[in-house]
Amino acid sequence: MIKAIGALLLRAAVVLLGTAILTFALLWNAPGDPAQTIAMARFDALLTDDVIDQIRDEVGLNTNFWHAFRAWLGPLLRFDFGYSAVTGRPVWPDLWTAMTYTFPLALAGLASGLALSLPLAILATKRPGGLLDRTSVAIASLGAAIPAYWLGLLLILLLAVQLGWLPAMGARTPAHAILPAVTLGLGVAASLTRIIRSGILEARGQPFLPAIRRRGVDGRAVARDHIAPHAAIPVVTVFGLELAFLLEGAVLIEVIFGRPGLGTFLVQAILSRDFPHVQAVVVLTALVFVVVNLAIDIIYRAIDPRIGTEDA
Amino acid sequence: MRSVLFVVIGLVALAVLGPLLAPYDPTAIDIPNRLSAPSARFPLGTDALGRDILSRLLYGARWSLGLAFLISVLSLLIGTSIGLIAALGGKSADWLLMRATDTFLAFPELVAAVVIAGLMGAGTWSLIFALSVTGWMRYARVARGIGLSVQNQGYVVQARLAGMPGWSIARWHFLPSLIPSLTVVWTGMFARAILGISALGFLGFGVQPPNPEWGAMLLDARVHMRSTPLQMIWPGMAVVTCVLTINLAGDALRDALAKQSSHE
Repeated sequence: MIKAIGALLLRAAVVLLGTAILTFALLWNAPGDPAQTIAMARFDALLTDDVIDQIRDEVGLNTNFWHAFRAWLGPLLRFDFGYSAVTGRPVWPDLWTAMTYTFPLALAGLASGLALSLPLAILATKRPGGLLDRTSVAIASLGAAIPAYWLGLLLILLLAVQLGWLPAMGARTPAHAILPAVTLGLGVAASLTRIIRSGILEARGQPFLPAIRRRGVDGRAVARDHIAPHAAIPVVTVFGLELAFLLEGAVLIEVIFGRPGLGTFLVQAILSRDFPHVQAVVVLTALVFVVVNLAIDIIYRAIDPRIGTEDA
Repeated sequence: MRSVLFVVIGLVALAVLGPLLAPYDPTAIDIPNRLSAPSARFPLGTDALGRDILSRLLYGARWSLGLAFLISVLSLLIGTSIGLIAALGGKSADWLLMRATDTFLAFPELVAAVVIAGLMGAGTWSLIFALSVTGWMRYARVARGIGLSVQNQGYVVQARLAGMPGWSIARWHFLPSLIPSLTVVWTGMFARAILGISALGFLGFGVQPPNPEWGAMLLDARVHMRSTPLQMIWPGMAVVTCVLTINLAGDALRDALAKQSSHE
C-alpha cells in the first residue's frame, strides 16, 4: 500500500511538472512579448524598456526555453503568482476571492446533483427495465446533451424572468446562488444517475450475492454491506470526472449569471491579455485537478483491495 | 438503432443541403424586420439585425457539425498515433507518453480550450486547434490498451515469427481490433466537440460573427432574452438534438458491439 502510494505521488509530481511546462509553453508562444509579461507578473504595471531588457537578460529569454522556464517556475513553487498586468495588484488576493465564490458553487452543484441522482438511481433499479427505469435513463441522456450554459439561460428565463421567483444576476444574497447551483447540479445529475444506476445493477449481479442470501442474511444487510461498497467504486472514480465538469460548468455558469469567480476572472483575464491572471487560473485548476485525482486513486485502493499495487 | 440512424442521416442531410433549403441569406441584414416573431415569412422569426433565424440555423449546422467532425477526426488521428506508439514503442516510450496524456488530462478540457483559443486570438483556426489539442487523450488511452493486448495475442506473435511485415500486421491484426472501440469513443468525442464549439462560440472565443454558428447565435440572442425569448430557444434546441442523437447512436453502436463480442 505504501509503495503504491509512493508510485502515485511520483506520478502526480511528474504530471504537475508537465502542466507547468505546458502552461509556460502556451505563454511563451502566445502573441506578445514574454519579457513584458513576466516583468508585469513580478513588479508593478509601469515599466521602462530598460527594466524589461534587464528582465530579458535575467530571466534568460535571450537564451532558451528551458532556462526561461526555470526562472519562471521558481516564484510559482513558492506560490507567488506575481502582479496583475492590468491593475498592478498582487494576483493572489484576487484569485483567492474568486475561489471563495467558485468552490462553494461547485460544491453546491455537486451536492444538488447527488441529491437528485441518488434517489432517482435507487428508484430506477427497483425494477430494472420498468417504466421508471427507462424514464430515468431517458432523462439522464437528455441531461447529458443539454449545454450547461443554455440550461442556465432557460432557468433564468423561466424562474427569474417569467415567474420572478429567484434573482438571476449577481451574487449579493445566498438566494442568488440557487439558480447557478441547480443549473450545475442538473448537469452533474445526468451523468451521476447513469453511473450510479449501472453501478447498482452490476453490484446486484455479483455471483456471491445469492450465496450470502441463502445463508439467511437479510436484504437490508446485503444491500448495506455488499451492494453499496460495490456500487461505490465507480461513483468514487466518477468524482474525478465530475470535477472537470464542475470547473468547466462553473466557468460558463458564472459568466451567464454575472457571478464573480474563477470563470469570470479567467474570461476577463483573457480578454485583457492579463497573462499573470491567466497563468494563475490555469496552474491552480491543474493543481486542484491533480490533487483530487491523487486522493481518488488512494481512496480507490482503500475501498477495493483487489486493485493492483503496481503502476496502473 | 434504425430510428436513430434515420435521425443521424436527416441531420447530416440538413447540414449538407442547408444552403438549398434556407429561404434567405444567413448574413443578410434587414433592419425593418428586426426581432420579428415567427411568421409565414420568417418561420422562426428574425434576430436583432433582422437576419432570418431558420436560415442561420441551417447554415449553422455546417459550422457545428462540420467543425465537430474535423476536430473529432483530428484528435482521433493524434490520439491513436500516440496510443499505439506508447503500446508498441517499449517501456520508456510508454511511460513518457502516458504521463504526457495524464498531463493534458489535468486541464479541464473547456478551460484549456478557452485559454488556448483566447490567447491565440478568437477565430475558426484557433477553435479547431484548441479543441483538437484538448480532445485526443481518450483515444490515446483506448488505442494503447488495445495495442498492448493485441500485441501479446498468439496470432500476432505467430505472424511476426512467420515474417509478416509490420504494416501488414498493423492492417490485418491491429486495425480490426481498434476500429470498433475507437468508433464508440469517436461518437462521444464528436458530441463533445459540438458542445465545445457552441460553448466557445457563446463566450465569443469561437466562430466569429457574422458567421451563423449556434453558440454565437445564443450569445446574440442572450441580450434580447426578455423581449424575444424564442430567439434563444432555437439554437439551443439544435445543439441538444445533435448531441442527443449522436450520443444515442454511440450507445446503440456500443450495445451492438457488446452483443456481437458476447456471441463469439
